[in-house]
Amino acid sequence: MVGEEFYRREGAEAIIVRPLDDIVLLYHRPSGQTHMVISPVPEILDTMADGLPASATMLRDRLALLYDLGEGDVVGEIGQHLAYLDRIGLVRPA
Amino acid sequence: MRHSLTLRIGPATFRIGSAWAQPIDQLARLYADYPDVDGAIADFTVRLQPTSAVRRWVRPSIFITGDHGLADAAPMSLAHGLLAAEMGMNLQMALGWRRHLLLHASSVEKDGRVLVMTGESGSGKSTLAAQLGERGWRLMGDEFALLDLDSGAILPFPRLVSLKNKAIDVIAGEVPAARMGPLLGATAKGDIRHMVPRADAVARMGEGGMPALLLFPRFGSGPAERPVGQGEVFMRLTQASTNYVALGEPGFAALTRFVAQVPARAIDFPSGEAAIAMVDRLWSEIA
Repeated sequence: MVGEEFYRREGAEAIIVRPLDDIVLLYHRPSGQTHMVISPVPEILDTMADGLPASATMLRDRLALLYDLGEGDVVGEIGQHLAYLDRIGLVRPA
Repeated sequence: MRHSLTLRIGPATFRIGSAWAQPIDQLARLYADYPDVDGAIADFTVRLQPTSAVRRWVRPSIFITGDHGLADAAPMSLAHGLLAAEMGMNLQMALGWRRHLLLHASSVEKDGRVLVMTGESGSGKSTLAAQLGERGWRLMGDEFALLDLDSGAILPFPRLVSLKNKAIDVIAGEVPAARMGPLLGATAKGDIRHMVPRADAVARMGEGGMPALLLFPRFGSGPAERPVGQGEVFMRLTQASTNYVALGEPGFAALTRFVAQVPARAIDFPSGEAAIAMVDRLWSEIA
């Protein structure tokens, strides 16, 4: 997609991931903030584990190999999650 | 200050200074069986001082101050000096303690394992802990539970139990008068009376235990019980902690371990007896 935003994940050591039974906790070391997230946020971050720049379309393609993503504007949804993760400092524009 | 007393409660040492004798005399009587730490270096200082020079004599009015201040602490009447001292100690602990994750919770121990109860003021956690403490459990604290960052154990903070309004008669009916403080009528929180924990709870105040069950008690309806998901438990415990953010990553590690390992239930109960029956059953079933 032309003009699509690219993001990269914060370094692996910057985020501690602790899955509980119904949510996933993300502790962001640089800010000391704790975030409570649910699917698909942990899955999106997992697919960015290599630390390389990725777009919503690229992440949709990677996630589609692992999960049944269903109908609807999946790329748009992933893009919204990326924008939110950028605001809280867990990913940054590449 | 003119009158003073040094007290150790659990791992914390407080020096309470007062412009008046009465609050110190009352504390000295109620904390008589606590360790003698006269001369020890205190973690916190609590000062009860007059709001003005004149107020020391004319309708005395107390201003609580200490190492960690509270901007809008309202002056209190000298008749409530004991309450002011207790509030001052709680405040210093809540704002200044960093050696453990501090949870606004009551806790009791049996066979080396700990039941932790957390909830808003008025939930009944304090009264329930006091009642369990008279029925074969060891009272570890009615206000703060200290979560050890390394071992994951809960450590005691067995200060005086602060009983409010209807809870006063419930507990006074089963505890010897010598273990009850004076009735403090018509405070900002209603009537308050303090209870001294049993001697073994005081003697063993350095002895922690591993948490085995977490309850969110709520007095006033039920009986009803529901499991609580770990996400909700985590969120409520961060809200119940006064120093979670300040502790940073060690606090996160300790709290997530607690949440992942300790089963949790919310219980609604219409009476103390109903709550005790629920606790006994849950303790034998899942703790």
